[in-house]
Amino acid sequence: MTTTQVPAPTPVPSPAATGRTRRSWLRSPLGRLVLRRLRDAVIVQFLVVAVIFVIGYYVGDPVSAFASPEATEEQLAQLRRSLGLDQPFWVQFGRYLEDLARLDVGTSVWQQRPAMEAVWEVIGNTVLLAILGAVAATVFGVVGGVLAGTRPGSAVDKVINLISVLSLSVASFWIGLLLIIVFAVRLNMVPTSGWYEWRGLILPVATLGFIHGGRICQVTRSVVLDEMSKAYVLVARSRGLPYRRLVAGHVLRNVAATVLTTAGWEFARMFGGSIYPIEVVFAWPGLGPLMTTAAHRHDFPIVEAAVLITGALVILVNLAVDVASHLLDRRLRPE
Amino acid sequence: MPNNPATPHRRGLGRRGPVPGRNGLVPDRRDRRAIRRSGAVAGSQRRLSTGPLRGRLWILWVVVLGVVALWAVTGGRLAPFDPYAQVPAARLLPPLARTADGTHLLGTDALGRDLFSQIVVAARLTLFIGTAATVIGLVIGAVVGVCAGYFGGWSDRVLMRLTEAQTALPMFLFAILLMAVAGASVTNLVILLPTFIWPTVARVIRAETLRLRAEPFVVGAVALGANGRQVVVNHLLPNLAPRLGVLFVIDVGQIVLAEAGLSFLGAGVQEPDLTWGVLISEGRPYLAVAWWLTVMPGLFLAAVVLAVNMLSREMERRSQS
Repeated sequence: MTTTQVPAPTPVPSPAATGRTRRSWLRSPLGRLVLRRLRDAVIVQFLVVAVIFVIGYYVGDPVSAFASPEATEEQLAQLRRSLGLDQPFWVQFGRYLEDLARLDVGTSVWQQRPAMEAVWEVIGNTVLLAILGAVAATVFGVVGGVLAGTRPGSAVDKVINLISVLSLSVASFWIGLLLIIVFAVRLNMVPTSGWYEWRGLILPVATLGFIHGGRICQVTRSVVLDEMSKAYVLVARSRGLPYRRLVAGHVLRNVAATVLTTAGWEFARMFGGSIYPIEVVFAWPGLGPLMTTAAHRHDFPIVEAAVLITGALVILVNLAVDVASHLLDRRLRPE
Repeated sequence: MPNNPATPHRRGLGRRGPVPGRNGLVPDRRDRRAIRRSGAVAGSQRRLSTGPLRGRLWILWVVVLGVVALWAVTGGRLAPFDPYAQVPAARLLPPLARTADGTHLLGTDALGRDLFSQIVVAARLTLFIGTAATVIGLVIGAVVGVCAGYFGGWSDRVLMRLTEAQTALPMFLFAILLMAVAGASVTNLVILLPTFIWPTVARVIRAETLRLRAEPFVVGAVALGANGRQVVVNHLLPNLAPRLGVLFVIDVGQIVLAEAGLSFLGAGVQEPDLTWGVLISEGRPYLAVAWWLTVMPGLFLAAVVLAVNMLSREMERRSQS
């Protein structure tokens, strides 16, 4: 055969023909991002659970927390047997995972009820404080960052710079104590602690805003500074666009995605750690006081429940930040 | 031609648009300010401070760190009083109070112990935990980063997944849990705190290793028959050293703050061991009557972390220029 048969072009299935108007959502970049994050979340939580279990298995002695001090060795052994603590490692680990699948981390000896319940009860307070703190931090960061970024090298810039470096250099709880001394003890303007009155929220929110606003401020300053040197700013200025409208309408809009991403990370960082000492300082009925008391009383199920729930929370917030920045700004998209 | 608002290109550059009697072409003071603010033209940056120390503020931070390091090394021999000596007659004295024994620079606590001496003594453990934990974290991070960056492949994937996983973990709560289970002690703290920093270190080192691996001197070494160990030890590590130095300075402040937070919550250093975080939490019950007990240790903590942060900025600035 000398003539080669030209194969009939395989018809490219048009979206309409296959009945699917677009590819599966899960295969889009955004979908893959979400899936990857969820997979990471499962890995993280499993690692956390495993580490907790291993340490509890080798170091902790749950029986000593239950039993009365004068219990005999025989009674202790019986208690261990009744709790299944004489079983081999893998059996215990399996049972532990099984309980976790039912969202059961055990009963709190201190509160005499499921530990999850005790944590769920207060987590709303922590989230409320964190949201207010994140808003305060964003306001402080954006206002300071824009003021500094539009006036590079000026006195305002230097002062704001100093404040933001300070906010990154001090211990959060120490700032809280300082504010209590000045505004509650000396000036008597606000209550030192408490949550039954909205004024009790002022100091903790201010503390959180100061501690977390510093980084937002620095990021905002650098992106605003970057943006102000772009050609469109010069063009808009020379065309006579009022300064305020240029900054508010164009520059801020272009830096919004970066700034919001930073703010979101700071929000996640609050759950990672900085909010709990502040809650303790201001006696805010959130996770911080609950966890420290539970840790002091060797009541591990509560601490464990708190770690797992906040871990999930941090992952969700990070995911939300990534999705939001993905939707807000095409330039930030991965790959 | 009158200054007609309808012709925008004829407007002045002032912030509020056209100004009566201005031709809009010659920039006046307000225009110059607007131009300067726009950042389009690099203006002359006037410095507030002049004199021999101008631009050498970092000397101050080195001095701060040097003094505290001296306290740490001499271990309380520079303290004016015995930090554990309880003097019932000298309880809760304010700063600069004079007694028969001498001047209490920063006052005394509820048991009549000299606060300044306690701070001097506490410097040792504060700095020890800070530096030890940071060094361990850097070593772990560097090993992971170099392995992932140089050898690549599955080790890269596994290690990077691990670091990603750890950044999602609420470290502080996890630390409280571990300290509650394993018991709060200095040893456990030094083992635990490095986990706060090694993922970031690993990521930076990995990126740096990837960059170095493509450099001619590494490619050349491999071509001349160097094995992996030789490349890493003779070529990569010397070039990673400056980056590790900057990372150390950045992270040591974070670690010191984390230690203070954990100690404040009772999940870190325990009495009678003293760190500045312990001192702050000890002073907390006396907030209303003796402010200096909480404020002063925190000031020293802030000064050290601020010094470290400022130095890291200075190092960054120098490495850029």
